[in-house]
Amino acid sequence: MTISLPVILAVSAVMFGFGVYGALTLRNAIRILMCVELILNSVNINLVAFSRYLADPAQGQIFTIFVMTVAAAEAAVGLAIILMIARQRSHIDIERINLLKW
Amino acid sequence: MAELAWIIPLLPFISFLIIALFGHKTPGNGGKVGIAALLASFVLSLAVFVDVLGGGSAAGRFEWARVGQVSVQMGYQVDALAATMLVVVTLVSLLVHIYSLGYMHGDARYKRYYSILSLFTGSMLGLVLADNFLMLFIFWELIGLCSYLLIGHWYEKREVGHAAMKAFLTTRVGDVALLIGIFLLFLHTATFSFAGVEAQVAAGQLQGAALAAAAILVFAGAVGKSAQFPLHTWLPDAMAGPTPVSALIHAATLVAAGVYLVLRSYGIFAASETALLTVAWIGGITALFAATIAVAMTDIKKVLAYSTVSQLGFMVTALGVGGYTAAFFHLVTHAVFKALLFLASGSVIHGTGTQEMGQMGGLRSKMPVTFWTWLIGALALAGVYPLAGFWSKDEILLSAHDGGFTALYWILVIASTLTAFYIGRATLLTFFGKPRDKKVYEHAHESPSTMTIPMILLAALAVVVGFANSPHAGYWFSHFVYFDHPHEASSSSFVILWATLAWVVGLGAAYLLYGKSADDGWAKRLGLGGVWRVLSNKYYVDELYNGVFVRGTVALSRATGEFDKEVVDGAVNGIGALFRSGSGLLRRAQTGLVQAYALTLFLAVVLGLVIFAIGG
Amino acid sequence: MTIVDWFFVIFAAVTLVGAYRVVISEKIMHAALWLGLTFAGVAAIFFLLGADFLAAAQLLIYVGAITTIIIFGIMLSSLEDLRGKFGNTLWQRISAQFSSPRRGAFALIAAGGLVVSLIALILRGSWPSARPEGLAVVDTPSLIGDAMFNRFVIPFEIASVVLLVALIGAIALAAKDEAPAANGEEQPK
Repeated sequence: MTISLPVILAVSAVMFGFGVYGALTLRNAIRILMCVELILNSVNINLVAFSRYLADPAQGQIFTIFVMTVAAAEAAVGLAIILMIARQRSHIDIERINLLKW
Repeated sequence: MAELAWIIPLLPFISFLIIALFGHKTPGNGGKVGIAALLASFVLSLAVFVDVLGGGSAAGRFEWARVGQVSVQMGYQVDALAATMLVVVTLVSLLVHIYSLGYMHGDARYKRYYSILSLFTGSMLGLVLADNFLMLFIFWELIGLCSYLLIGHWYEKREVGHAAMKAFLTTRVGDVALLIGIFLLFLHTATFSFAGVEAQVAAGQLQGAALAAAAILVFAGAVGKSAQFPLHTWLPDAMAGPTPVSALIHAATLVAAGVYLVLRSYGIFAASETALLTVAWIGGITALFAATIAVAMTDIKKVLAYSTVSQLGFMVTALGVGGYTAAFFHLVTHAVFKALLFLASGSVIHGTGTQEMGQMGGLRSKMPVTFWTWLIGALALAGVYPLAGFWSKDEILLSAHDGGFTALYWILVIASTLTAFYIGRATLLTFFGKPRDKKVYEHAHESPSTMTIPMILLAALAVVVGFANSPHAGYWFSHFVYFDHPHEASSSSFVILWATLAWVVGLGAAYLLYGKSADDGWAKRLGLGGVWRVLSNKYYVDELYNGVFVRGTVALSRATGEFDKEVVDGAVNGIGALFRSGSGLLRRAQTGLVQAYALTLFLAVVLGLVIFAIGG
Repeated sequence: MTIVDWFFVIFAAVTLVGAYRVVISEKIMHAALWLGLTFAGVAAIFFLLGADFLAAAQLLIYVGAITTIIIFGIMLSSLEDLRGKFGNTLWQRISAQFSSPRRGAFALIAAGGLVVSLIALILRGSWPSARPEGLAVVDTPSLIGDAMFNRFVIPFEIASVVLLVALIGAIALAAKDEAPAANGEEQPK
């Protein structure tokens, strides 16, 4: 098929779906982090596609740069937190980390 | 002089305030102040009376409040009726004040007694002078309050407190009806004043069922205050108060207020056959009913109390059969000799320390003054010629007979016979025969002069006052106080014959049964033991009321309390419980699993998108 | 279908397969590696869309740094998970990575519904049908640089601060406690 905007958007939508499903169901915290990265990347694809087809390239791509920046920062801090949890409990099973319950 | 009549109630009010606030500083600890005020009032009343005799009258009013279009006036009116009543009230009150100096000597609440006595007198006088229903009602309530306070003078005793409450609540029932009647009248006539209402009724503004209803409601107030059947139960219990109080309030003035009310508003009664019939029959039934009970009482004050109820029944009957003058005349004479009888009985109680006639006997030698004054009063009550009671009672019987009320006439005749009988019995049991209790007899002594002088004065009055409406004086009184037109008194030998027969038979029977021995057992011997028991227990009316009204009200209030506790509080608590269980249910959403929260979030987003996709 | 289109299909397939394998993997290390592949696929798509600078940045940052850091994280934390020892069959071993089936069903509804509705909206929309003018050579870095330091200079500075804070924060969080324990046995490592 010819690459047109809808196709690209559909691809990124599917990737987004994978990421969401994984974030909601996986047990390992690092896997969840990976799925979040998937989500962010799908958004990046969207932004670049839009900037290519609809607007001037600079705008969309700059937005994407910032997204990448924040994603990197968040991955770093997230992993630091996960390491702390791993140190405390010797597991990072989200299912078992539920202290703030009723 | 009649224009100054408004000062008459003012003086006792002022003395009430002085005694209440500064009693301990006044000479005689309050008593002398009251007597001084009342003496002044009495003199002024005499002056007003003389003025009215000469044809004077007075009235005055001022606007007290204004509610929208309605202007509520307060005012006074002085006519023959009011002037006579003023004299009666001030005289009896003055004598009771003097009597109380001796009777209440050394009492712990001497000041309170005299202050309330003054307040009562002031209120009664205000009631007498009132020229409109509303003002009358205000004073009506005030005298009810004073009656409660005075009956409950020795409130350390439980039954005294209960008697005071009973008096207040029973008359309250009548008061509520009176108030509704006043409002009904206002609804139809847009005025509270007696003259205004009378004029409108005469002009036909108000008639038929509405008029009868209003009149009967107003009469219901009189039923309460004047202790007619069925609201009579409070008066015998009110004997728990000091005897001078009984003399003043429950013989001469407060109980007469009901009759006075009907006299003042007679315009609405005269225009309604139904109302008059109701009034007459209630009076007649009461007269007979109370007389039968008085026969079987052993407490001397209770005999007098039921006698009062019965005599008030006579007055009320007279009102119902059209005997306006007769009713008022009997009110005046009754005030005199009943007050006398009460004061004399108080003297007996003061001297012997007991109220039970079963413990008395043969006191006439030990208390001669008391005996002779009592005797005059008793004979006056019995209607013995030529004492006061004969003339007034005769008037009433005449009204009934001439009005064609045959049944009521004979009821009154029988009641008169019983009157003579029971007062004869009381006299014989108290003063004659062998003393039944040695200690009481030893202790008995004559009362001090502060007590005997008022009694003597009243006795003298009881002899002469009757002549005011006798043929010897040309029925002067009928031409002085009347409604619409003076009642041309006729004399019927039939009536006079039966009236005389009544007291002869009554006194004779009393002498026969009690002359030799003070023994109530004759009833049982004649096989009337059951009847006697019913009479002694006052037809069990009190028990009936207690069972139905008292217990009913208590049950109702208990039920309401339970309702409030269970339902209302339950609802309030229930809401709290609801929230608690609700939140207990909802908090399970806090699973502590972040993914579950995120899931909820995303489901909501999906929902939004789907709606957008479908709708957009 | 030009060759560009074919390239796009291949790269899109790679990306999607990689994304799928990230989620459905028995072993977490494999998932990390599949993630790296996915990032590379995304970079390729960037190239096809003419965002060359961005594609290079993607490769550097994501494939180079983030995948590495994730692998480091895996190595430092999930000791048990590397072996994947729950159950015997493949299905059991994979499903052990997921939480309860009930949550899975709801999540499927959520994610699936999301995807479906997004695609529905995409298809409904009226997009410009013009084909991009191939891989036109556009001087992207100067374009980006020009916009970045003129129009977006403040977000740029703030992004720098964010990175600094994240750096310091990550170090502060993950550093081991230096203070000895009460019994004096714990040594600073």
